[in-house]
Amino acid sequence: MTQRRIHASLAASPQPRLLRALTILATLGFASTLVLGLFVAGTDIQQGPVQRIFYIHMPAFFGAFTAFGATVLGGLIYLWRGSEAWDRIALAGVEVGLAFALINLLTGAIWARPIWNTWWTWDPRLTSAAVMCLTYAAYLMLRAGIENPQRRRRLMSVYGIFAFVSVLLTLFIIRIVPDTIHPVIVGASPQNAQGSFEATSGVVLALLPSLLLWLTLMPITLMWHRYRLALRQEAVDALKLKLLGG
Amino acid sequence: MKSPFAAAVRAIVSKDLRAEWRSRELVSAMALFALLSVLVFSFALELDKNAREEAISGVLWVSLIFASLLGFNRSLSLEHDQGSLDALLLTPVSRSAIFLGKLLGNFMFTLLVALVLLPLMTALYGVQLLDSWALLTTIVGVFGFSAIGTLLATLAVQTRSREALLPIALLPVCLPFLLTAVRATKGIVSGAPQSEWQVWLQLLAAITIIYLVLCLLLYRFVLEE
Amino acid sequence: MRRAKQRTLFFLALLLALAWAGWTQAQNETPYYQSTDFNIPILAGWQNQSAEGVAQFYNPSAQATIRTTMAAGRDAQSAAAADLAGWLGLTGLDAPVYSGKVNLADGTWHSLVYDIDAGQSVSVMARQAGDRFIVITFLESDPASRTRMLTIAQADDTLDTPEPEIDSALQQLTQLRLDDLAAVGTSALPGGDWLVFQGESALAAGSVFGNDSYIALQEGAPGDLRALADAWQGTLLGFFITPDNSPYLWLGIAVSLLILAALAGSFVWRARALQKDLAMIEQLQSADSN
Repeated sequence: MTQRRIHASLAASPQPRLLRALTILATLGFASTLVLGLFVAGTDIQQGPVQRIFYIHMPAFFGAFTAFGATVLGGLIYLWRGSEAWDRIALAGVEVGLAFALINLLTGAIWARPIWNTWWTWDPRLTSAAVMCLTYAAYLMLRAGIENPQRRRRLMSVYGIFAFVSVLLTLFIIRIVPDTIHPVIVGASPQNAQGSFEATSGVVLALLPSLLLWLTLMPITLMWHRYRLALRQEAVDALKLKLLGG
Repeated sequence: MKSPFAAAVRAIVSKDLRAEWRSRELVSAMALFALLSVLVFSFALELDKNAREEAISGVLWVSLIFASLLGFNRSLSLEHDQGSLDALLLTPVSRSAIFLGKLLGNFMFTLLVALVLLPLMTALYGVQLLDSWALLTTIVGVFGFSAIGTLLATLAVQTRSREALLPIALLPVCLPFLLTAVRATKGIVSGAPQSEWQVWLQLLAAITIIYLVLCLLLYRFVLEE
Repeated sequence: MRRAKQRTLFFLALLLALAWAGWTQAQNETPYYQSTDFNIPILAGWQNQSAEGVAQFYNPSAQATIRTTMAAGRDAQSAAAADLAGWLGLTGLDAPVYSGKVNLADGTWHSLVYDIDAGQSVSVMARQAGDRFIVITFLESDPASRTRMLTIAQADDTLDTPEPEIDSALQQLTQLRLDDLAAVGTSALPGGDWLVFQGESALAAGSVFGNDSYIALQEGAPGDLRALADAWQGTLLGFFITPDNSPYLWLGIAVSLLILAALAGSFVWRARALQKDLAMIEQLQSADSN
């Protein structure tokens, strides 16, 4: 009887076909956008090959944007409806978004080294991107610090909503604070922006597929995997509790 | 001031003020801490005449936020430990009223610290912080981060390592206040024309309003049920 | 359904915005001659005679050529000689009538001037790049006049006038001094302000950029010296070599892959740990029921 229940709740769920298809599609998509960015797009004559990091750097930020956006949405719906599924989505959004934000931050630092001649500079946008990473690291720490699951979901939904401020700040800070050296790709760069390049049609053609992939397929696929992990975790926790309770 | 909402807010505020008046623990600790951090900053940054004008508003706001962390933590962990919020929750009081009550208490304490800090820094560093615009910026900014601080402190006291987690949760989220308030204060202190710093004050006010609305809407989810 | 539609619309709008930004930016690009070795601005209004590895522009009215290429040699002079031999068939070149060095942002350049026959001079700027030399050459082949281009480090870099360098160039290459010429005025050209002096049969122009004076001297029948000088200076200042920083690119890609792998790996690892927990629970349960 109990045996059967365990299997029903956990092992029973093999990967849905759609998820498997999405995983393959995302992997292939990632590989092909990489090829597009590395070999098809032209070399920037001013910056050299390193400019190709752009095809990961900027899409990674927008991937994080999608994931953190899902956290806000998940938090709001959880608070409104109380369905645990949305809290799992919120948590998945934080983990996936944090990984993407780290990719964004580190590729930025690596790009900055040859172009700005430094790994890091306390530029408003760089600072706010780092703060964004720390905010979501704080989310994970806070989450681990709350034992009661019900309370944890409630409180973290609220924090997930507030944490999104750091994402918006990073996105808009170069429009608010003009003394940044980080270039703006769409629209006019600030006057002292350094290391900007021309978004020629070639750049746009290589960027768009990558941007679309990171905005949709990559975060959705990874978050789905994380969601399933959360589901398993909850089932095992419940079993443990039952076992301890007798 | 006859509606049950206003009565509840007033009751909570006056309870906090009375408790503070009796002990005078919190505000004096906050003020002392703020003062110490100002002094530490001036040693660490070796603030000479020119550096002062640049750095003074940053020092002011960072000290204020650090000091307020002390206050928020203490104000809500007391409630939590004494179970007085639980008692309040049993009464048919609106959650927003509880939030506003706690917020006003925290706001007044932090503002008091700011009011000590402003003339003192004016005297110590010879910069003109006693300006009606600087005062307005201080009031708006302190109100704004008191709102988010009250909410996050309520959240943090429910975690395992409460005091440790409030700064981690609060500092990144109150960065927009720091950014705009520091720029506005810097503009005012350096005597720049109003058109240059006005936009920062407006941004600060807008952020405060957005945070206040969000906090009012979300506070009931942060309270224990 | 509605949300999906709105999303699609949003993405389409984003696509259009990006495409538009790309298109408008493409409109005001400076045309460049690009090769793996170097990049150089394409001179507007000049005939483009470039080939693989050689950027060459010809101005028919002034009979002037500006040519950029890479040449092998022991030093700047031998590299310049090798290029001139290959291009114009000049062998047994005399020593340069002018030779100097300037430190520009991208390295030390040699400024050389050769008189190749009674009416013609070749001006060369050369710099080492790897095991070869970049050689940028100016040739004006109108027999009626002789034009020379020089780049001279300023003797006093606090001055923003090229007059001292014009004077020393005149003294070294002609029998004239600056006092023999009359100031004609200043011409604002795209690359900078050119100070122009005119004598009976000589024309001199100079412009300061950074701590160096760019000098153009013309003897004989006067032509449009300013336009030539500006084209030459624009070529020199617009020249650059695309940096090879591909190690950073690979590092960035490696780091990105590593983070993605760490995320996916942590999912797998945590799922395995859960599986183990589950096995343990099952074991305990079966022990209980026994």
